[in-house]
Amino acid sequence: MSAPPELKLHGVTKRFGGIVAVTDVSMALTAGSVTGLIGPNGAGKSTLINLVSGFRRPDTGRIMFADHDLTRLDPSAIARLGISRTFQQAAPLVGLSVIENVMVGLHTRYRSGLGSIVLRSPAMRREARANAQTAYALLEQFGLAADVHAEASDLPFGKLRFLELARAIGMQPQVVLLDEPAAGLNRVETDRLAALIRVLRDRGITVLLVDHDVPFVFGLCDQVVVMNFGSVIAAGKPDDVYGNPAVREAYLGGEDQEAAA
Amino acid sequence: MSGWIGRKLEMAALVLVIIAVVAAPLSGSRLLVYYFTITALYASVVIALNLLLGLAGQVSFAQTTFMAIGGYGTALMTVRLGLNPWLATLLAMLLATLAAFVIGRPLLRLRGHYLSMATFALALGTYSFVTAAMGLTNGGIGISGIPPLEIGDVSFAEPRTFYILSWIFCALVLAGYMLLAESHVGRAWRALATGQDIASTLGIDVPGLKLMAFVLAAIVASVVGSLYVEFTSFVGPDLYDINIILSLFFMLFVGGRGSTVGPIIGAGIVVIVPQLMSGLERYQNLIFFVILLLLLLIRPAGLLGRMRESVPLTALLPGWLRVTREGGTA
Repeated sequence: MSAPPELKLHGVTKRFGGIVAVTDVSMALTAGSVTGLIGPNGAGKSTLINLVSGFRRPDTGRIMFADHDLTRLDPSAIARLGISRTFQQAAPLVGLSVIENVMVGLHTRYRSGLGSIVLRSPAMRREARANAQTAYALLEQFGLAADVHAEASDLPFGKLRFLELARAIGMQPQVVLLDEPAAGLNRVETDRLAALIRVLRDRGITVLLVDHDVPFVFGLCDQVVVMNFGSVIAAGKPDDVYGNPAVREAYLGGEDQEAAA
Repeated sequence: MSGWIGRKLEMAALVLVIIAVVAAPLSGSRLLVYYFTITALYASVVIALNLLLGLAGQVSFAQTTFMAIGGYGTALMTVRLGLNPWLATLLAMLLATLAAFVIGRPLLRLRGHYLSMATFALALGTYSFVTAAMGLTNGGIGISGIPPLEIGDVSFAEPRTFYILSWIFCALVLAGYMLLAESHVGRAWRALATGQDIASTLGIDVPGLKLMAFVLAAIVASVVGSLYVEFTSFVGPDLYDINIILSLFFMLFVGGRGSTVGPIIGAGIVVIVPQLMSGLERYQNLIFFVILLLLLLIRPAGLLGRMRESVPLTALLPGWLRVTREGGTA
């Protein structure tokens, strides 16, 4: 099997009114690696995820995935190319059960059209059964087997995070963009999340991880990118970045001062 | 489980509908058969509206426009052009499908209330157009002499025969709704109704699926529009008045959005209850709307709608009349 394609950003800039949220950012996500994106609040991390997933359009620059230019595509088309994302709020699909949430994630795998649905063709029924099993297996893997038929919006926050992740993985992405996946999780849940992300990487999925939890990011990532005021100020292996004075000054140092204050 | 109770309620309602549909012609009352026929036709439109609003969450007032395409399309093609009514029904349906694509495609790409506002304008425009376009529609006089549907020697001008046809059509629409609702398409509709962003990150073609629901609803509305005028042999603007579209929404909300049998129950109530109060004449509408209002206050999700919490009857009383528990405030 050939290696999955790289996701590359070339000189991406995004302004909101007079404010430059992202300035001339270039980076490459090596296929099958975990990249951590850190930086103080307002550094442009979430904006970057919104740009890659098509919720915002860059003013200048290009975002490429293999030969596909993502810059002008809408979120759904980008997702269909194999790029999935999660949201900071970990929102469930309201009114759907836990397993239905994951099955919506499997939507693009269905081939049956209106005709075979209305005629209940054997192929359509086989497909529905197979996907229900896949969804159940995903829920087991993400520790939600006991909640299969619960209303998704009744789940506690920690479980919602895992449900959201299971749903995003359900569409068999090649790249997942995780916007603060550890926010609101306790230590045990954060460890389980880290283990799951390693499983995804071992399956060859490229992960971009935005988070505030510095030990979590540095312990997990193959590559760390640090942003401040919309620009990349450092990038490299976790150890190199951790020792970088500019990073300690801009981000880690700032946090230490906050903690000391 | 609330889901299980919901399913039992739906089953009970379905049995009730079947018994009523079988019993009505046996009663020998021509009036009852007539009202039940009208119920079947409106119920079909409301089931399709339920697919669009109850499942896919799209508020569209375009149903009467597509009914008018069916009704006037059939009238013009049969009376003026002498086409067979079956063929006219089919051609009008294709025209409604095309119109739904043309209207729906740009509107469903937009978010927010554009669809509601634009289709409301469309509903008002439809009524004005069919009233004003004298040359085409005969204005307020309407077009009469529309030939009935026939199969061999069987004429659907006969009320009992048409009664059977209308309920068969309604059953087919209901079956289609049920099959779609439990498929991956129905699930995607429910997903995008409340979580459009999430659905799009999962690769779901949100505008495309909305358009599919919009077109399906238009097709059903158009066929009902045709059937109606082929039964009464007359088409006029009043069939597509703004009151009609509001009644369709009442039928859906009383029966229960997103419920399966609810639209039939809702259509039955809105068509038949006012007839029971015919002795009250002037106050008929007022009493009817008070009943609807009370019903929606007690069961906001509709008679068969899925409710997470029930609203106690006492909640309808003013605060000073309410019995408070354990000295707490109501």
